[in-house]
Order: sequence, then structure tokens, then C-alpha cells
Amino acid sequence: MDSVAIILFSILVFIGFINVYSVTSDVNQTGFQLSAIATRQLIWIAGSALIILTIAFANVVLVEYLSYYVYGFIILLNILVLFIGKEVAGAKSWFGFGGFGIQPSEFAKIATSMALAKFLGGYGMKFKGWKNISISLALFLIPMVIVLFQNDTGSALVYLSFFLVLYREGLPGYILVISIWIGILSIISIYLNSLNISFGYLYGILLGISSILVYFGRKNRQFVILVLSISIGSSLFSGVVGLAYNKVFKVYQKDRIEIVLGLKEDKRGMGYNLEQSKIAIGAGRIEGRGFMKGSQTKMGFVPEQHTDFIFCTIGEEWGFLGVTFFFGMYLMLLLRLIFLAERQSDVYGRILGYSAASILFFHWFVNIGMTIGLVPVIGIPLPFVSFGGSSLWGFTFLLFVFLRYDQVRKS
Amino acid sequence: MIDIHKQRYKTFIVIFVLFFLLFLYRVASLQLFNNEYEQKAINNALNKITLYPARSVIYDRNHKIIAKNLVMYDLFIFPREIEPKNRDFLCEVLEIDTAKYNDLLLESWIKSKKRQKNNAYNHSALFYSNLTERQYTVIRENLYRLKGFYIEPRTDRSYEIVGGAHAFGYLGEASEDLLKNDPYYQPGDLVGITGIEKYYEPYMRGRKGIRTVWQDRTYRERGVVNDDSFNYPAIAGPDFISSMDLELQQYAEKLLSGKRGSIVAIEPGSGEVLAFVNKPDYNPNDLIGQGRNKEFRKMLIDPKKPLYNRAVKGVYPPGSTVKTVLALIGLQEEVIVPESRKGCGGGYRMGSITVGCHPHGGPLDLEGSIQISCNSYYCALFREIIDNPKYANVQQGYEQLAKHWRSFGLGEPTGIDLLGESGGNIPSVEQLNRRHGPKWRSSMVISLGIGQGEILLTPLQLANVAAILANRGYYYTPHIVKSINGIRDVEWQKKFKTKHYTSIDRIHYETVVAGMSKVMQPGGTAFAASVNDIEICGKTGTAQNPHGKDHSLFIAFAPKENPKIAIAVIVENGGFGATYAAPIATLMIEKYLKHPQTSSKTAMEKRILETVLEF
Repeated sequence: MDSVAIILFSILVFIGFINVYSVTSDVNQTGFQLSAIATRQLIWIAGSALIILTIAFANVVLVEYLSYYVYGFIILLNILVLFIGKEVAGAKSWFGFGGFGIQPSEFAKIATSMALAKFLGGYGMKFKGWKNISISLALFLIPMVIVLFQNDTGSALVYLSFFLVLYREGLPGYILVISIWIGILSIISIYLNSLNISFGYLYGILLGISSILVYFGRKNRQFVILVLSISIGSSLFSGVVGLAYNKVFKVYQKDRIEIVLGLKEDKRGMGYNLEQSKIAIGAGRIEGRGFMKGSQTKMGFVPEQHTDFIFCTIGEEWGFLGVTFFFGMYLMLLLRLIFLAERQSDVYGRILGYSAASILFFHWFVNIGMTIGLVPVIGIPLPFVSFGGSSLWGFTFLLFVFLRYDQVRKS
Repeated sequence: MIDIHKQRYKTFIVIFVLFFLLFLYRVASLQLFNNEYEQKAINNALNKITLYPARSVIYDRNHKIIAKNLVMYDLFIFPREIEPKNRDFLCEVLEIDTAKYNDLLLESWIKSKKRQKNNAYNHSALFYSNLTERQYTVIRENLYRLKGFYIEPRTDRSYEIVGGAHAFGYLGEASEDLLKNDPYYQPGDLVGITGIEKYYEPYMRGRKGIRTVWQDRTYRERGVVNDDSFNYPAIAGPDFISSMDLELQQYAEKLLSGKRGSIVAIEPGSGEVLAFVNKPDYNPNDLIGQGRNKEFRKMLIDPKKPLYNRAVKGVYPPGSTVKTVLALIGLQEEVIVPESRKGCGGGYRMGSITVGCHPHGGPLDLEGSIQISCNSYYCALFREIIDNPKYANVQQGYEQLAKHWRSFGLGEPTGIDLLGESGGNIPSVEQLNRRHGPKWRSSMVISLGIGQGEILLTPLQLANVAAILANRGYYYTPHIVKSINGIRDVEWQKKFKTKHYTSIDRIHYETVVAGMSKVMQPGGTAFAASVNDIEICGKTGTAQNPHGKDHSLFIAFAPKENPKIAIAVIVENGGFGATYAAPIATLMIEKYLKHPQTSSKTAMEKRILETVLEF
């Protein structure tokens, strides 16, 4: 298997372990001493090594063949967990086994990417036509909805990263552009809504811009229609968002969104976590406060410090130098995956590679973005680094199934 | 298969790299362009627990403990942690109502907010100070269910020997002003308010220690910080050895009780204050612990003014006691010799003005004039001094006299180790000019010659005059603290261990001392107060005062050779100096020099002890 990717993976897992070790250790601890949580993380890492070994000897052709069955099985598990799962932090997405828990949604991502790869990699398949596009979308929107039902918004949002995969496979670029435009419009609408500013201003500006465009392009009939429909569509959309925002979102969700947008100054409630997270990272300065010396994360001022907010420990104890190194390793892994994906001779392998890269990017984007206050606080783990067996094993599968596939095709 | 979207991988690379750079910039803005977060993180996780030192223990000159420390307990809270369900229980234990409870809570909220520099609510604040024994026991037993509350020990004063309240002073909570100006103090700290407790506060208080602990978000202690710069022990204040003799002090307080006035006794050879009494006074044990504030407010409005430190703040006309000083000045200025005699026909007459004198035998020499305190002698002497033809005019003559007076430490504070001391008054030429017009003559200010008029002295200054006479010409600045263990304070040494000489030659003192000795002998004004076997030198004084009956004054020292004690006694509205002030002084001298169980002069002692002057 690709040694560069394996080395990068090992480095990230190692970074994860020492930070989990540090943040869960005793305050005045000297010498090596594993906390209960660090011990468990060590067990998870050993488990993922076993998984890698298993994959290394697995018959990948069989894996490809089994893609739909794996997908179906995992989807079933995710539905099952809705009924017999246990609730952790409001999300009903865990199977409990004694003291341990397994989160099937972490495995649904790899299953989904396998199914999507199988479907689009089918003989003579083209990513075109109503039917094919619908099935592709359904393949990842179905698990996304199920995970939403598990009340795990963060994990559900991750499935949006499959749009990136589809883009690579030929999804028209304008869809991405429209998506971004929708995002911008939504943010503007929320601003206007929260600040009680009339939507008339937005409509006026849209009308003004489109009038000018229509005037200059009045000879081109198609252009005029396009401009007018975008303008009217945008107006309608923002109006609907404005209304829906108040009805659909729960108060705590609105809080999170508004704090990130800078509409709300609340350093005690929701904003407290963000403020503490920023304090932790900021306290690291250039060189960091030193291994095992990050009081801000160790003393529990940052919530979930060993899981979703593990990056705070990296920032606090290792400083800007440590963060740069960590970002560098992570970015290199992503680029390496793109490189490996591009050298695949078949669509199946390429989609596996792009799925892995897109999902890892999305996780990184949301997780880090939340700790530094650029993204609303959405609880998703930092791949390979956050404490937790399900996520580590899920990402190990995601990465190594592709690496194994890459290895087999090459030889 | 043709891959027509092959080039799209570049978009991915661009997006990935772009966002990594954007996020890295954001991290840099937190870590590199902003320097407030590091301190915030430290403030968050460290709780600095103040360790209170024991205050200096005060001993008397015989090494008996006077003031020691008593452990008391304060109730502290983490305002954010407390639970409403505990309110009624605490109200019951602390015997307060709900409104008071809410007030206290609000106060500690404010105090706690002052302590924290960011939004982590992990700082504690004082909630209730000075728990009683019972409150402490009950609360400690129930602490496990009083979430957010904890008890901290502190020390307060406790007085083993009641006496010398005005010299030692009392403690009180640090004022707003002090808190603002001195970062050492925190709300609720006890500081010296008066007496040597105040004067020596920087030594007395010791040094607070700090124990820094890691503290998590839920205020739970997570161990001591292993860094010596964050932890240092409290250092107790050094032992203070006072110069006071508490046996003498308590005896003096007994003698003066029921009267109003002051007694100051000094060891002439060192300036050490042996006794320092004011009446009325207060019991220092009333101004400690829970009752402190209530008792203090009561004393403040008490018309008897128990907090008033007359010995250093009260000013009195010294009356005849300062004839001793005038005699010395006369000798020094060579307007008389010891043998000079002056006649007295029952008073000193200048035209229409007569200064009365009591009947006594014919022309007296200097010793005799002191012995029977002849007013005429001193009126004449006063005029001779300031009308001395050596000087151009009466103003210059008077200025010379005032200079001599000032060399006795009169007219300005003595510099004793107490704050708020008055300097009394030696009228300046300007003051006399204002009062009598610029053309005044010696006859117009004649009363100064017999210690009346504008001349005013504190009891301490009067005692210092007695010490100067005992020393035949010098004094040490009086002081209440004899030594501070382990402290070498050069300034202090310099201030209290330096001899100050008067402007009078030593030889002149012998004459005046001989006169003072005769005061206690047959025919002397204080013969009745003399004590067997002790050669006391004294001088009575009877000071007229516009507010009522004359004040009774007496200064003395003993023994005549190698004096061990100098003393001044003032009994307000006590009449003749010989009536109360003299017996009190001689009883004290006897006590100090001979330590008798009861005085050899039983009847006199009994009379003084039983006298209650109505006022």
C-alpha cells in the first residue's frame, strides 16, 4: 500500500494519541501514566492496526463485489439504532456494548462511498440523465436523512461532501456555483432577519443590479431571461429562508448560527464554549505552552476537550508551530489521496479516493472551523485525532480500503 | 473510457490549499496577533488562595503576652455555584433574614466579579466573616451539602491582659480607601486602625502567603501548582516587645478609673513609655470578632468618648508644672541666680492686674519658689526674661523664651510611635501680635509665666518634661515599642535611640531638681503625697480652665539620683494638683520601684481608688 499515505496516517494518529494522553492526564503528573481514556484510545489504535492488517490481505475484488450488500447492511444498522440505540448527548446513534459504544453512522460514510463508486463505476455508466443523477443523489441522501433522524446533525452534514465527489465525476459546475450563491443568500437572509432589517433593501439591490444587466444585455434574449430568473429566484429564496429560519431551527441552533455570524454576543452560554476554545488556542502563542501543560484544555474549560475539541489541545500545547505542522500533514494526506485517486484506471477506485479526500476535508473544515469560530459549533470528530473508536475505525476503513484497492490495481 | 473531467482535480487542490491557508491565518490571528488569551487561560485555571499570616504577638517589657491571635473562621462562596435550596438553612444558622441573605449574596457577587478578569466564574469571595463557634460547627458539619460554600481560617486579636488599649490600638476591616491605594489588602482584611497596631502595620501584619491550585471549570481543586513562584507560605508578623509595664499600667488604670484624664509614665534613660492611660477608655476585647462593628459604632457616639486618646491628642494648660522649665530658662538667661529672692504679698500686682498667690512666708529663693509654687516669683521672672535689656524688644525677648521651650519638645509632636499626635501650643510672636496687637507688653501675656493662657501641652509632652528634668537636660523620643524581634530598622533606631538635648546647661538642673525634691518635703505643695523611702521629685500644677473646675496636674520622677521613672498625671476638673494628680503619681512610683501588694499609704490609695468625679 502507498507508504506516503501510511506514514501521514501514522503521524496523524500519533498526534491524536499524544494530545488525548496529555489532556486526560493528571495535573501534576510526572512520568508516563495512562489515563483511562488514553488507554482506551490505545486499544482503538491497536484495533485499527488489526483492521489495516485485515484489509491488507483482503480480496478487494470481493470488496467491490460486496459494495451494495455492505451499504444495505450498514443502512439497516443505522435504522436499527433509531430503535434500540442509546442516547449520547442528545443523539440516538450509539449501540452500547457494556462500557463501549459503536456508532454505525461512522461506518455509513465508507459504505456510501463504496455504493456510490460501485454505481457510477458500473460498465457503460455515465453520470448523466435524470435517472442516474437521482440514484446517485439518493445513495447518499438516504443515509444522510437517517442520520438526521438520529439527531446527529453534524454527521449528517458530512454527506454533503459527496457533492464534491460528484463534481469530479461531472456534476455541472454551475450547480456548485448555485449552491454557494444559495449559501451566501441564506447568510444574508439570516442577517436581515435577526437584525430586523426589511428585506426590501435586498430586493432593491437585486432589482437594481438586474436592471443594469438587462439594459446592457437587452439584445440577448436568453441572457435577459437568465438574469431575471436569477433575480426573482433569489428574492423568493431569501424571503422563504427568512420565514423558515424562525420556524425550522430550534433556539439553540439559531444561537449557534448567530454567534458565529457575529450577531450575538454571548460569552456565557453557547458563546462560552467558543470563547474558551479560542482562549485555549490563543494561549499557545508560537511555541505552545508545552506538552501536558495546557491548563485551559486540561482543566475542562474547553468542552469535549478530548473528542471534538482536541484541536484546542494541539493549539494550546504546541502553538502555531505545532498547528502548522499538523495542518501540513493533513493537507499532504489530502493531496496524496487526490494524486492516488487520479492514477486509478477505473471509476470505482477514483470515487473511493475522492470520497475519502472529500470526507476527510469536510470533517477537518467543520471541526477546525468550529474551534476557531468560523463555523457554527457542530459536533463532528477530527479524523484520526479525536478520541473515539467508531470514528477512528470508520476513517481507517475509508482510507485503507482505498489504499488497498490502489495497491491491487497497480500490481 | 474517456475522462472529460480530468482537469477538475485542480479545483480540488485549489480549494484544499485555499482553506488550509485561510484557517492557518485565522489560527495565527488568535495565537500571534493577539496576546490577551495566554493571560486569560492562566486566570482561568489558577486559583490563588490567600494564606493569612498570624499578626505579631505583642509582649510587655517583662515578656508577658498582651495581644495574641485568635483563629476565626470566614465563610466564602463561589457565587455561581450556590443552590437556592440552601438559603433557608443558612439564614437559620447565621441568624439573618432572607433580605439580608440576598444582600450578602449580591455583595459577594460584586467582590467575585472584581477578582476575575475574564468570563470564567471561578473566583471565590467572602460571604460572611467571623463565624461564631456554633455557626462554625454547624456549617462545617453540613458543608457537604452546601454546594459552593467553603470555610477559611483567619486570625483576629485576643487580649490576654486588658490594659493600654489606647497605646496598642485596635484592628478593623480595611477601608475602601486603603483597598484602592494598597493592592496588598483585600476586602475583609483586618488592619491596625490606631495605636502601635496602626503605626507598625507593615510589620505587624506579617506577609500573606499564597497557595496556587489548579482549578477546573467546576471549581474543583485539581492539585497544587508545582511551581515555587506560585506558592509561598504566610509569614507571621515578628514579635513585638512593648516598653509598657502591664502591672503598672493596670494599676494606673485602676487609680484613674472614675475620673477623666491621662497618665503617661516614661523611663527617662531610654524614652520608653511604661504606662499610657486615658480615662474613659474601652476594653480592647470589645473590639474584636463579631461584635466589633456594633461595639465600635456604640463607642463612636458615646458622649464619654472612650476612643479619645487624650494623652497625645488632648491639650491642657500645664499650670504651675512648667514653672520648673521657666526657672531653668531664667538661670540659663542669667536673669536670676539660685539665691535670687523675690517677695510676694499674696499676689503679683501690675497696676490694675493682680495674679493671686496663696499665703506663704516671705521672700523665697528659687528652690523655695518651686517648693511652694509661688506665682509672684514666676510672674516677675517671666517679665525679667522677656524684658531682658539684652534683647531689642519684648518680641525678641519672648522669641528667645519660646526657643527654650521648644527645645523641651513643646509646641510640636514628640514623635512617639502613635499617629495623630497633637503638638500642643507654644504661642508664636505672630500669634501674640494678633491677639494683643503689635505693641503688647510683658504684663499683657503674664499668665504664660504660670502656665496659663495660650500655652497648651499634651500629657505626653508633660511626661517628657518630667523625663528631661530627671535626665538633667536631655530626652529620647518617647516610644511604646521597645524592640521588634528579628527586624533591624535603621530609621527606627535613629528616631528613638538618639538623645535630644535642651538649650539649658546641665548645671542649672540641679537647682530645679532640688526644688522639686522639696515639693515632697514638709512645707512642699505635695508633701502629703510623699512616700517613705523613695526620694521623689515632683511639681504640682493647678490649671484653670474656662469650662469648669481646675484641672489637677502633677509631674514627677524618682528616685532623685538615677531616676527610673518620670511621670505626668492630669485629672480633669480634679482641683488642686496635690489633691488627685500628686497621689496618683506617687502611688505609681511606689508601685513601679517597690512592687508592694498594697501601698504603704493605705488611706491615700483607698481614697484615690474610691474617688469618682462626677461629670
